[in-house]
Amino acid sequence: MFEEYILNPFLNAVKQFGNRNAFCIDGKFHTYNEFAGYVSTIQHALSLKKAGNGNIGIVVNDDIETYASIWAVWLQGYAYVPLHPIQPIERSQEIIQQAEITIVIDSSSQSKITGTDIILSSELEIISDLITVVETSPDSLAYILFTSGSTGKPKGVMISRKNVGAFMRSFWQTGFKVSEEDRCLQSFDLTFDVSVQSFIVPLTRGACTYTIPHDQIKYSYVYGLLEDHKLTFGAMAPSMIRYLRPYFNEIEAPSLRYNILTAEASPLDLVDEWANCIPNADIYDFYGPTEATIYCTYQKYNRGKDNKQLNGMLSIGKAMPGVEAIIIDDDGKPLPANQKGELCVSGDQLTPGYWNNPEKNKSSFFETIHNGKTERFYKTGDSCYFDDDGDIMLSGRLDHQVKIQGFRIELGEIEYHAREYFKGRNAVAMATGNNVGNTILILVIEGKESNTDGILSYLKTKLPPYMIPSGFRFIEQFPLNASSKVDRIKIKSLLNL
Amino acid sequence: MEKNEILKKVETIFRSVFDNNSLVLTTETSALDIPEWNSLNHMILISEVESAFSIRFKLRDLNMMRNVGDMIDLIASKL
Repeated sequence: MFEEYILNPFLNAVKQFGNRNAFCIDGKFHTYNEFAGYVSTIQHALSLKKAGNGNIGIVVNDDIETYASIWAVWLQGYAYVPLHPIQPIERSQEIIQQAEITIVIDSSSQSKITGTDIILSSELEIISDLITVVETSPDSLAYILFTSGSTGKPKGVMISRKNVGAFMRSFWQTGFKVSEEDRCLQSFDLTFDVSVQSFIVPLTRGACTYTIPHDQIKYSYVYGLLEDHKLTFGAMAPSMIRYLRPYFNEIEAPSLRYNILTAEASPLDLVDEWANCIPNADIYDFYGPTEATIYCTYQKYNRGKDNKQLNGMLSIGKAMPGVEAIIIDDDGKPLPANQKGELCVSGDQLTPGYWNNPEKNKSSFFETIHNGKTERFYKTGDSCYFDDDGDIMLSGRLDHQVKIQGFRIELGEIEYHAREYFKGRNAVAMATGNNVGNTILILVIEGKESNTDGILSYLKTKLPPYMIPSGFRFIEQFPLNASSKVDRIKIKSLLNL
Repeated sequence: MEKNEILKKVETIFRSVFDNNSLVLTTETSALDIPEWNSLNHMILISEVESAFSIRFKLRDLNMMRNVGDMIDLIASKL
């Protein structure tokens, strides 16, 4: 399926649309032929090395070599593990160690990574544009994404080639029509899986992918792309659109044909206003945890009509083709409509599991008989119910996971590092809204108020920027609830968060 | 107002938004130099700069801004 839906359509696009633009990166265009040159050069360099377990680290800069590295890794039959250049080097090294990576491809002029073989992709001389496909099993991996882990260490979600193939098949079945004439937005960090949809869709259709440079402020740059390059297709996080809200009266993007809202819940009032800025776009809300490969449920927004919502957030709709969704109670029994429980999903998009993490694999997945067949399900941790039409209404999290700009964050991971730093002092991380309604993090520390420079710089060596608290607060003694646990709700109300 | 004066005034705003009194700005300083310079802080910066200089940016203006130098040129053009 990976060949059918990803590799072959990409190779066809190179063959058929060689002189058309594949990328616009930081204002510079690159044709499919040029891109193929980078891919084949990096693939060649990769083929000369021993790749160990096949997990290849890629330092994900915003440049043509980085995107070419992903395809080179795939064509060579390997899996990529993105390492963000802005995250602390300690975290990248932790991921390298966990995933047992022996080769890292880095387009930086000097790599900060140590202890592995490094391919400096921007220093390779372009040799040819001859790309070869190394055959491999559908169960071999396409990528591993490390997400926040509540125990203080990031955990790796393995996504197989079959998973990505099944996702793309399902995505096209939902009815999107994209051609070589399209101009598509890639506004997501490459450590986040919506980026995979954002570059596969254009590159398997001969369309052009527009990226966001790391030194640019995303929301204003995206506006510039919409305006100057008349983008036609794009997935965006609602929190980014929220930053544009004060300027909605300046935005008119009639070229946009498709707009996918994803990575977090979509507030209906925001979407209603945003829809006026993109008058010709079909707007979709897509939902999905990384574990079920990018998206697994969706619904189309009804312009000018009523849209289903819960607490102001759009319904996440129905399962995509090939995905099964059930909602279970605490005992694992499926619930009927209108009863709230945990959303669980199954199908070919479901991850084989977490990398080297048998405990988590045991607690997050289960088998049950569904429609007469034994199916393996993933417990999403999202509290949901089906309405009478079978649409899924999302009401919140069952645990301490929050989303910041679409990134999944386990509050426990921040707390783990805070406690490590304070050695004995307790600390809890909380999510709260800022003045535009986006989520920010506050770290509440037990004890007398003290200087926070030390904890701040410590956290910066351990956590990526989106996990760094925006503020610190102090409480002399944490209130406890009936079961003697720190009472988070009480703390929130004490601090007016 | 001289561009140098604008730079000093902008520096004070940056120091307060990023809660860092030793922050030194040059015209070349960009979001790459200040890890906390994300969308959220950018929005706060913009609104602080707007009120300090009594100006209002358009979204198109923000899109042209790549570094502190661009921001200063833009402020100067609005004064």
